[in-house]
Amino acid sequence: MNLTWRLQRLLHQFRHALQTPSRTPRMAVVVGRLLAAAFLVCFATGIYSHLLQDPAPWMAFPTRPSWLYQVSQGAHITAGIICFPLLFAKLYAVFPQLFQTPPVRSFGHVVERASIALFVAASLVQITIGLLNTYQFYSLFPFSFRHVHFALSFVVIGSLAIHIAVKLPIIARYWRARDAYLDDGTLREGESASDPDVAFGTPDELQRRTGIRPDAGVTGRIFAWIDEKPTPEPPDRRAKVSRRGFLAAVGAAAGVLVAFTAGQSFRILDPLNLLAPRKNNTGPQSVPVNRTAQAAGVEEAATAPDWTLTVSNGERSRSFSYDELAMLPQYDAWLPIACVEGWSQYAWWRGPRLRDLVDAVGATAEAGVRITSLQQHSIYAVTEMQPEFVRDELTLVALELNGETLDLDHGYPARIIAPARPGVLQTKWLSRLEVI
Amino acid sequence: MAAERVVVSERMAIWRAVLVGVGVLLLATGVGAFLTEVRPGDYPGVAAWLLGALVLHDGVAAMVLFAATVIVRRIDDRVPFVVLAIAQAAAVVAVIVTVLVVPEIVKQAIGTANPTILPLDYLGNLLLVLAGILAATAAAIVVALLLRRRGSRSRGTS
Repeated sequence: MNLTWRLQRLLHQFRHALQTPSRTPRMAVVVGRLLAAAFLVCFATGIYSHLLQDPAPWMAFPTRPSWLYQVSQGAHITAGIICFPLLFAKLYAVFPQLFQTPPVRSFGHVVERASIALFVAASLVQITIGLLNTYQFYSLFPFSFRHVHFALSFVVIGSLAIHIAVKLPIIARYWRARDAYLDDGTLREGESASDPDVAFGTPDELQRRTGIRPDAGVTGRIFAWIDEKPTPEPPDRRAKVSRRGFLAAVGAAAGVLVAFTAGQSFRILDPLNLLAPRKNNTGPQSVPVNRTAQAAGVEEAATAPDWTLTVSNGERSRSFSYDELAMLPQYDAWLPIACVEGWSQYAWWRGPRLRDLVDAVGATAEAGVRITSLQQHSIYAVTEMQPEFVRDELTLVALELNGETLDLDHGYPARIIAPARPGVLQTKWLSRLEVI
Repeated sequence: MAAERVVVSERMAIWRAVLVGVGVLLLATGVGAFLTEVRPGDYPGVAAWLLGALVLHDGVAAMVLFAATVIVRRIDDRVPFVVLAIAQAAAVVAVIVTVLVVPEIVKQAIGTANPTILPLDYLGNLLLVLAGILAATAAAIVVALLLRRRGSRSRGTS
């Protein structure tokens, strides 16, 4: 029993030592709502990207604006990066809660603390593996990134909804600054005291129970030494400086990260792009590459002189040689390659329209197309394109990129380029097109 | 007044019920997706990551930060408070940026699938950004000290 009280005293002292002007319920609400907004942006754009790649049969997607996916996935990655300073700030603001005394009060309390632990762990892992995935640092993952990132997104957003429900009285209480603070800058405690063991009577109670003075023992002395210089508390003017400094630091961290990385997704910030894993206008024909022809194992098949593109519709089938494709009416399209990893690159593409090719084998306006690449070992070797993209006038079987014959690493002899679709679906090294 | 509070709390109760319902549904979806899509052989790896994240954040990073803030508080007397606040904010920004960029530098050193992945000089650029943060910090401190001196002088004369 004595040990329990001593542990409790230690936790209490720790919580006391952790008090700072920025660790208030008001700060948790201020940072929390920004973080929730960033999480929701990531979730919405992530689900959109997922559905584009894995649609239900009845789904149709907008094909305009042509930069829709570029912006949605750019927002996904940029908001994900902003989550780092916001999540760190949120966890900082509520960190003393980790040392609640008593650690466990009831069954409901256990469930609440366990759910918070899952929420925090899932959030940290979610944004970390997302970031590392943009660096293609796959060797750090002892699991499939795509599946874990997908499952965790629901865990995080579900936990967020439950967390908001549990904390709703506190959130409502401290939503507006004028309700949160008194004129001298002290926090209005109201019905939701930030310190749940105030009523508990610590540390006097603990001293009575344990018979040990708060400053006795090694830990007691350490905490007494810490307490000699307490953190400024309102109405001390320095508390306000400290609180504002904290918010300024979070804002500055987010600003610096966005300024120096978002150029990979948004061209206006490209001149500042110093830290992003991708850079505009790098690579063959000034366009970055995700998978090279060599990595895909298609060098031989793609450069074979007898290469043809087979277009079929049930029994009807036609094969186009490269020269035959080049004889068809050619169209130009200014479209971005927009990768799930967040980077994007605009380029000029030239080639016949996909719809002209499938119409040559009698495709209807409602027909989709199954696209097969020369590439063998990839989950994107065979993909399907919904009718709205097939029919779009900007969807090309591209033979040229930025005025030159398509580079082998960009999908020579022919690749798909369509508006508002993820880069992984812009199939390179085409082999077959089947009307479905 | 009392009646109004009751109305508000009723609304809040409804909102809480809706949020819990949505949350449980989403959580169940997440767990379902986890159980159906993630290979069972990957479970230990995911568990290790989740646990590792808590240990690294709460056990290591937050504790180091705590120790740092205690030390900063001790030197509070010798340095003006506003200078300390600016320096701490700058340190926070610098540490967060560094933490995010270091894995990029490591991955680049290990090697990438092709030269268009991680094409920049990340170590050099990180140092450049850190130098920029340092310069901005110095400028902010100078401005803060000038404002402070002017403030105390005007208080002294009036």
